[in-house]
Amino acid sequence: MSSLDLRRQSRVKSALPALFMVGPVQLMVISMIFVPVLFVAWLSFNESSFGQAPVFVGLQNYVQVLSDPYFWRAMGNTILVVLIVVHVELLLGLGVALLFASGVPMRPLLLAAVLAPYAVSEISAVVMWRYLFDLDVGFATQLLTALGLPALEWSINPFHGLVLIALLSIWLHLPFTFVILYAARLAIPNDLYEAAGVDGASAFQKFRRITLPLLMPAMLIAMLFRYIFAFRLFSEVWLMTGGGPARQTEVLAVYLYLEAFRYNAFGEAAATGWLLVLASLGLAVFYLRRLYKEMFAANA
Amino acid sequence: MPKPVTKLLKAVCVALVLVWSLVPILMIVVSSFKADRDIFAAPPRLLFEPTFNNYLTLWNNWGDFFHGLVNSAIITIGATLLAVVTSALAGYAYSRFRSPTLAFSAFFLIFIRLIPPIVITLPLFPAVNVLRLNDTHILMIVLYATFFVSLGTLVMRTFMDQIPRELDEAAHIDGASRLQILRKVIFPLSAQGMVAVAVFVIVFAWNEFLFAFIFTTTNAKTAPLVISEMYGAVEGVEWGVLFAASTLQLLPVLIFVILAQKHLVAGLTAGATKG
Repeated sequence: MSSLDLRRQSRVKSALPALFMVGPVQLMVISMIFVPVLFVAWLSFNESSFGQAPVFVGLQNYVQVLSDPYFWRAMGNTILVVLIVVHVELLLGLGVALLFASGVPMRPLLLAAVLAPYAVSEISAVVMWRYLFDLDVGFATQLLTALGLPALEWSINPFHGLVLIALLSIWLHLPFTFVILYAARLAIPNDLYEAAGVDGASAFQKFRRITLPLLMPAMLIAMLFRYIFAFRLFSEVWLMTGGGPARQTEVLAVYLYLEAFRYNAFGEAAATGWLLVLASLGLAVFYLRRLYKEMFAANA
Repeated sequence: MPKPVTKLLKAVCVALVLVWSLVPILMIVVSSFKADRDIFAAPPRLLFEPTFNNYLTLWNNWGDFFHGLVNSAIITIGATLLAVVTSALAGYAYSRFRSPTLAFSAFFLIFIRLIPPIVITLPLFPAVNVLRLNDTHILMIVLYATFFVSLGTLVMRTFMDQIPRELDEAAHIDGASRLQILRKVIFPLSAQGMVAVAVFVIVFAWNEFLFAFIFTTTNAKTAPLVISEMYGAVEGVEWGVLFAASTLQLLPVLIFVILAQKHLVAGLTAGATKG
């Protein structure tokens, strides 16, 4: 029997043992994520709170959420923070990746330093950044004052609060973006740069004509993942400002949490939850479509 | 640009990167050995008399925190084992077998990553109450593992794709069963992938806040949650003690990430490029 036959045979026989092997993973994901999310969809069409039987109310929860100024405030804040975080992170990540690619001394040590924030929990990061920007003794506050800049009044001014949240979020997640871009940069063959050098290309031309186009797919992937994950932002905001002062720094996940667990409005919270899910899917729709086609082309 | 200028510019950039990444971390580690008067000194003091008082106070007054560390360790180990074993099995199936059902289920795994975790707390919270699973280690283990099996499976598939199929086939011809092939050939050769998955889960489970905040209260309360309670004490946050707790929570996982950085980079790359 040739190995081709063997392969074909294992392909035919395969379905059953393969399904057993993916069983545990699928079971976990279906029972803990997929079924609950469907339940949230159902819940969003019902009026319910703790210990009460749900009553079908149609789209009323959505109407209520969409006419709540606090929802729109949270939406605006989320979009603001996501836009700042993802794009600044991408620029910084690209900068650091190119810095590393151009050759740095003690590379392993420097790499460890750049990756270090990946190990830090959200709560510890909040403790660090809050102390750094403490209005009285914060190191960063004093630096700003020394430079003649205004201090970040993050506990009083909602915009400043969001900026601090964005800053700490960038700090926590830069390692991710950096690693994706750095790996992609290392995958670009050196010959290309050498050939361009022979042709007399300047450093900027090399960046513009080689680095940037070849990094584009990795940048898009990093950006997509960061959009989706930044969109769920909860802990940093909850721990830093708790959504205050006066609900001015809430983001969507905090809004959802408060609706459900403080105001006992499970219907509204579920509607918010579904809007979050739909927004995430909307962000990823092109990516999903491409993957779907690729997978079925390779597997059918 | 002349060479020395470029060199200087690069040195400045490297210095800035170091300051950005390390100063916040070093600051709380160093400050955890400071007395209150040094913590609240302006400008900050670089030279000070180190003290272990913060750690003593933490030990004497915050037994909860050490209980939290133990809980975090139990939950992290459990979630890691569960996620690695299930991801390796599934990764093998996706690497070696082809069928429309499998293709669909692989797509489903990617799709599921798009669902924000906070959304599923809405139905899970009442459900675990009914099942009396709230505030248990097992619930946290399953939750944390579940949120990483999608990524874990993709990473394992990428690593297993690199193991030549001829090895499976040779073992098959020698009369090895599926299970034996897995145990004796595939798992040992994909150990690197397993470490990469383990790094993700360990860092996530050790640090996670949202689920711990919603699903644990006393019995299974994790260290990050206890730190958030110390921090959230409305009046009179004891900064020194808070720094000591943060340092103890941070150091083990920081050392681990530095030691495992090669695997972290490999895992992040495999996970992001393949789905």
